Amino acid sequence: MKEERDELLKEFTPEQVAKLDEIIERYKSKPGSLIPVLEEAQMVLEYLPVSVQKRIANGLNLPFSRVFGVVTFYSFFTMTPRGRHTIRVCLGTACYVRGGKAIAEMLEKTLGVKEGQTTVDRRFTYETVRCLGACGLGPVVVIDNDVHGRMKPAKLKETLNNYQ
Amino acid sequence: MAKLTIEDLKKIKERVMAETSLREGQKRVKVTVHMGTCGIASGAKEVLDALMREIEESGATDIMVTTSGCMGLCSREPLVTVEIAGQEPIKYEYMNPNKMRQVFKRHILAGEIQTPFVLARGAEKTK
Amino acid sequence: MKVFRSHILICGGTGCHASGSLEVKKALLAELDKRKIAEEIKVVETGCNGFCAMGPIMVVYPEGIMYTLVKPSDIPELVEEHLVKGRVLERLLYREPSTEKTIPTMQEIPFFAHQELVVLRNRGLIDPEKIDEYIARDGYQGMAKALTEMTPEQIINEIMASGLRGRGGAGFPTGLKWKFAASSPGDVKYVICNADEGDPGAFMDRSVLEADPHAVLEGMVIAAKAIGSHQGYIYCRAEYPLAIHRLTVAIAQAKEYGLLGKDILGTGFDFDLEIYQGAGAFVCGEETALMTSIEGKRGMPRPRPPFPAVAGLWQKPSILNNVETFANVPQIILRGADWFASIGTERSKGTKVFALTGDVNNVGLVEVPMGTTLGTIVYDIGGGIPKGKKFKAAQLGGPSGGCIPIQHLNVPIDYENVTELGAIMGSGGLIVMNEDTCAVDMARFFMEFCQDESCGKCTPCREGTKRMLEILNNITQGKGKEGDIELLEELAKIIKDASLCGLGQTAPNPVLSTIRYFREEYEEHIRDHKCRAAVCSALFKSPCQHTCPIGMDIPSYITLIRVGRLEDAYKVLLKTNPFPSVCGRVCDHKCQSKCRRGKLDEAIAIKYLKRYITDNAPRPPVAPVPVTRKEKIAVIGAGPAGLTAAYDLSRRGYKVTVYEELPEPGGMLRWAIPAYRLPREVLAREIDAIRATGVEIRCNTKVGKDVSFEKLSTDYDYIYIATGAHKSQRMNIEGEDLNGVYGSVEFLRDFNLNEEAWVKGKKQLGKKVVVIGGGNSAIDSARVALRLGAEVTILYRRERQDMPAAPEEIKAAEEEGVKIEFLVAPVKIIGQDGKVSAIVCQKMSLGDFDSSGRRRPVPIKGSEYTLPVDAVISAISQTPDLSFIPKESGVSINRWECVDLAPGSRSRTHNARIYAGGDVVTGPDTVIAAIAAGHQAAKDIDEAIRLANGEPPYEEPPEEKIEVPLIIDEETVESPQAAMPELHGAERILSFAEVELGFTKDEAYREACRCLRCDAEI
Repeated sequence: MKEERDELLKEFTPEQVAKLDEIIERYKSKPGSLIPVLEEAQMVLEYLPVSVQKRIANGLNLPFSRVFGVVTFYSFFTMTPRGRHTIRVCLGTACYVRGGKAIAEMLEKTLGVKEGQTTVDRRFTYETVRCLGACGLGPVVVIDNDVHGRMKPAKLKETLNNYQ
Repeated sequence: MAKLTIEDLKKIKERVMAETSLREGQKRVKVTVHMGTCGIASGAKEVLDALMREIEESGATDIMVTTSGCMGLCSREPLVTVEIAGQEPIKYEYMNPNKMRQVFKRHILAGEIQTPFVLARGAEKTK
Repeated sequence: MKVFRSHILICGGTGCHASGSLEVKKALLAELDKRKIAEEIKVVETGCNGFCAMGPIMVVYPEGIMYTLVKPSDIPELVEEHLVKGRVLERLLYREPSTEKTIPTMQEIPFFAHQELVVLRNRGLIDPEKIDEYIARDGYQGMAKALTEMTPEQIINEIMASGLRGRGGAGFPTGLKWKFAASSPGDVKYVICNADEGDPGAFMDRSVLEADPHAVLEGMVIAAKAIGSHQGYIYCRAEYPLAIHRLTVAIAQAKEYGLLGKDILGTGFDFDLEIYQGAGAFVCGEETALMTSIEGKRGMPRPRPPFPAVAGLWQKPSILNNVETFANVPQIILRGADWFASIGTERSKGTKVFALTGDVNNVGLVEVPMGTTLGTIVYDIGGGIPKGKKFKAAQLGGPSGGCIPIQHLNVPIDYENVTELGAIMGSGGLIVMNEDTCAVDMARFFMEFCQDESCGKCTPCREGTKRMLEILNNITQGKGKEGDIELLEELAKIIKDASLCGLGQTAPNPVLSTIRYFREEYEEHIRDHKCRAAVCSALFKSPCQHTCPIGMDIPSYITLIRVGRLEDAYKVLLKTNPFPSVCGRVCDHKCQSKCRRGKLDEAIAIKYLKRYITDNAPRPPVAPVPVTRKEKIAVIGAGPAGLTAAYDLSRRGYKVTVYEELPEPGGMLRWAIPAYRLPREVLAREIDAIRATGVEIRCNTKVGKDVSFEKLSTDYDYIYIATGAHKSQRMNIEGEDLNGVYGSVEFLRDFNLNEEAWVKGKKQLGKKVVVIGGGNSAIDSARVALRLGAEVTILYRRERQDMPAAPEEIKAAEEEGVKIEFLVAPVKIIGQDGKVSAIVCQKMSLGDFDSSGRRRPVPIKGSEYTLPVDAVISAISQTPDLSFIPKESGVSINRWECVDLAPGSRSRTHNARIYAGGDVVTGPDTVIAAIAAGHQAAKDIDEAIRLANGEPPYEEPPEEKIEVPLIIDEETVESPQAAMPELHGAERILSFAEVELGFTKDEAYREACRCLRCDAEI
């Protein structure tokens, strides 16, 4: 346990670890609670490295392989640290036919990263998503929680400038 | 709050109907800002904020503001419905804070429908 | 006291502040200072007068003139005009919006008029976070009825009788599903709502949850009572935070009111609900995978049986329905199965909610009765396709579905019909695709999605989708092989049959459906490396060049205009096109329809820029080409197809003789297109250059009369038939043969042959002329008739957007005074003394859709009316006149009176020595298509000769290398296409002078700079 905690403290603050433990404690006796625990943990810790997964496995009394399997199965979970801002380009069909592809290409060029990667300065994490359900506004780019609709390649730069 | 019975459902219905019906003197105007994900993404929140500020500044007390879900016509959002007592509801399309301010001052306060921003009047038909 | 001659009031309200009134004020004060009139004019900041959307607002007194939308950059002009010169600046003047504009009711707006709301009945009317408002709209009344007055059997029977089928996609009868679960033994059962709406392009469930969450909760309680469940789950995507928030609020409020939880409404029935957030896996939309996911595991499907109704979540009997299905339930219970079953079609009852998206004007959420046609959804509710593009297909059911193409717009949408067409109803995503969508790329897109989302549990889906994606990637990158299509079909069949769950079983659907309807596009990608939608960018340099039928190097010549090297630009034009100055005037510029710039603001004026080059640079001289080949070739018809073939063959060293019936060469370019669009000398110059290579053109020589077809067959080794389509199609109405009734091409030819007689009035149409038709030759006839002094009306049986004529031609005709009446067709022509005197017309209404996706005109009975006329010109279509080809020639002629080509060839007829091309093969088509046909024929004839002689294939002589600089602007500023300067007034309609004047140097430069250089590889 001690080792595990040390491992965690390399990457997270004691407050964060305490919060993680609180989440585990809350769900401990509930069957099928692994995914909600991971979701809440990721909100607190931003990402779920192996050390966190081990803590959760022990806490919920599950094999580590089970936790690892779930983390890698669902696209919502990430094992690597993220940028300060997350850019998600919608590549749902509606956005795709309305030019989402060009936006994605433009972003890759501007940021110099591929899908799923974080810029070197950790300013942006760039992801693509499958339909955010805001098809009326396609093409859509979501930066953090702000939905930017009717996006155009020419408008991108200006929009990014608002996220430092 | 005590648990409801079937009788209570009817009472709530009557109460809400009475509350939301518009009458001169009490609530004269009902403004609905349509706020689904799509509406919010197109700026419905900014429109709502602008409206609330205008109401506050004007000191008007006879205006009821409410929000609701998507009207269906996502490509013309933000949409705002203005219903003045005794008149057909008016739906405004492509709203922004400035248009909202104008609708507030010219339509809600002065009674002039701002036709250039209007989508339609009346309500949808339900089956 | 200081006296000011003027007061300027600047609005300082919130709205105007937000639009920049402070900057305007600053600029104004500075400008007044600069002009030293600050002493005379007082600037005051005032309170708001309410016109916030038009701000910043400025009112100038004493005149009381109100200016709106004033920008700091307007200030110098405004001060100069108003305050110095005392003139009102019209440009910024406030204009009262016309009050006459009547406001339509919701039912007068097609988007709303065709919808019928059951599931969405509360949309926009209630605050979803206030349970009281839901209750006020009869909320929880259905549940009350179910809990107090009905047994579980009665509930199930009611749902079965209503005909409600699962709205999640498969359409399984909801009542039946409930019946199975109800009859499964066990005390613990679950009701689960599937809100894991993962189809790209679908947002029905999200909207319902956001707008009316209680409807779903109420439906779930009723289901719980029916099957005997006390615990439920709503599985909702984490990507829908607002929906989750509103559900959470709704559940809390319902619990507080005792509408969820223990002893609901005092009836003793218990039911509790939890929200479960999905963590982003498409496969979890599948019912068994979803249940596995709630159990906290990787969301992989389980084999069925056992079905969830027997062993579902935690191995207990469970039912799973989607959001829309549950939202229907309270209404059915409250209003009865009969009411519900009265909506919809025979086997599909009720309404369906669609998320209408893609290339359609009105994007949004649509609820229509089952059985509504696709055409109604796309054109009436959706408002049609933006930017005048053509509808191609609608994708139903997302990555598990298929597409419904243009020829099926009349199909009533219900479960059965949709399945028959190879799509699925799915959850209701309806994505409209226009002509700029590539069928293969779309299939690839969906396959990539499925491959990415395949959970990996079963091999057919995991490996099969991967293989299919590889093949599709290859095809879209120009690496497709013969047999790929068949391989895709075979793989699809295996994956469908052998996959464990719905994801795999439906994953091949988009591929199968695009192959079914757009097989030729797959073949074009594989064989010709051609993507007609100009989407698969690995196949081409730039979309414009790829779309041009002769592959003109457009980005190069546009750049050369930018750098002022017009002579080089002209050389680039001539590499592929012997008629660049013709095409610069009359081409239908397909290139512009795919111009990437058009996605930003407007397409580049490619046609006009081409003309600018030929107008402003000397034509590079043509050297005669010595005859080096022994084979002799005859071309029949000196139109663009024939002359292009002759030019190409002559440059390859053949002796070519062109036979032309009329006194001058040019075909339709000379004898149909009027001089005001294409000046004679411009055409003559192009033809002279063709002659200069050594081509001989024998005019006034009609084959079949002046020289026999048989003689040509013996005198020449090969014959190319390119005689065009110069015979007007008959209207087949009474009175068509009266004097004064003309076919359009015959009229135009006669006019061009006898221009002097017509202009001097020796030949006359009369005062009132009616032209029938909507194509370019109708417009040409109308504008010529107008110039001859007639009053001209065009009658067209459809609507403006359906007219085949070029939009700029239609606009020009109307500007000149041609009247166009839409939805009118001729019934008969009335004569007097053998000459036309009147035409009887009939009004048309628009019926269902024809195979071209246009609404069919249907005559309105009793709407006939008579127009007095002096002449009627029929311009409905043209056919070739092939009477000169003898039967025994072996050339076969089809039922459209066009030449049939040999299978597999693009120019050879059934006689191996006779080739044909242009309108004579295709029926009336464009100039550029004729030029392309000429190129093709020349290449094919030359290849056939060399093959027969055992010679190596032809090699292009090395051509001069023209360096094209790469200039790309960092910033792109939106700006519209440059307008073509035109002739105006009497000079235009009283003469045959060219109407379009051509770009100036400045205009051409600016337009050239708009090019985005899509051809550049960085």
